[in-house]
Amino acid sequence: MIKKINTLKGINKKGDKLISVYWFAILVIVAIGIVLMVNTFYGENYDVRSQEAEILAQKVADCIYFGGEFNSLIVNPQGGFREDFNDNFLKMCNLNFTIEGGLERPPYYVEVGFFPDGDLKKSSFTMLDGNKNWKPDCSVGVSQRANLVTCKEKEFFAVTKSDSVYLIKILSIVGKIDENTN
Amino acid sequence: MNRKGEFLVENIVFIVLNILYLVILILFLLKQGSGAIILEDAYSKNIALLIDSAKPTMTIHLNLQDLKTVSDKNGISFSDVLKINGNYAIIKLSEKGGMKYHFFNYINVTAYPDKDPKYEGFYIMTFSKMK
Repeated sequence: MIKKINTLKGINKKGDKLISVYWFAILVIVAIGIVLMVNTFYGENYDVRSQEAEILAQKVADCIYFGGEFNSLIVNPQGGFREDFNDNFLKMCNLNFTIEGGLERPPYYVEVGFFPDGDLKKSSFTMLDGNKNWKPDCSVGVSQRANLVTCKEKEFFAVTKSDSVYLIKILSIVGKIDENTN
Repeated sequence: MNRKGEFLVENIVFIVLNILYLVILILFLLKQGSGAIILEDAYSKNIALLIDSAKPTMTIHLNLQDLKTVSDKNGISFSDVLKINGNYAIIKLSEKGGMKYHFFNYINVTAYPDKDPKYEGFYIMTFSKMK
């Protein structure tokens, strides 16, 4: 009996050592997995350009048409559009695209088109400012957009005092690729 | 009897080691989430977006208690954590660190720590029209 007990004891010890090796290996694998997952998650860049482009588009929209009325600086009493607003578009809408102290191009682009009666074939008036070289990047497919600019389109209908209806399309683009991508 | 005693001790040691392992993993997770670089990146961008959305005469109360914890650890004064320079929102949490993000709103921004002891770790941001 004692011999049997001793033998059983011996077998249990060997079994325990074998299990502890596997258990240690599992712990290491789990720890490595968690570290990799956490580093992948926190290593991703925090990209806010989508929200930034949305805010930019909304700000331009509010500048042009607010409370059901056109900005009086855009539309003249005859119902036409004023060219001097286009020339001072950024200042009129309290926007500053300039990077101070640098020679780089502005990291934004805004284009506003006014389409009479919702006819998208030709806009009767267009305002734009910023880095227009980015506009072609907006038509690139989603899978290839990883390190390109972020584009947002916004459109709404607006009515002048003379009851002319315009479809206003706003394209806002935010660059800042280095700050928002790996 | 000895076998029962060994069985209990082994199990206790096993449970304690497992708990220790889990605690180390959890501490690692918490440390990663509160890293200075991650906080600087996230807060500079969020504050820039806040400024972009702001209008003149607005006042915003910002809770930066998370940043204060990290800046105190790194020896940075809380009044130096958030700076607005030109059209940049700058967050600095360590001596050699710092992150800035550009905002497009043409507006005058003033940012300073709240002196009220009830609001320790808060910043006040006021906005006015650019002259």
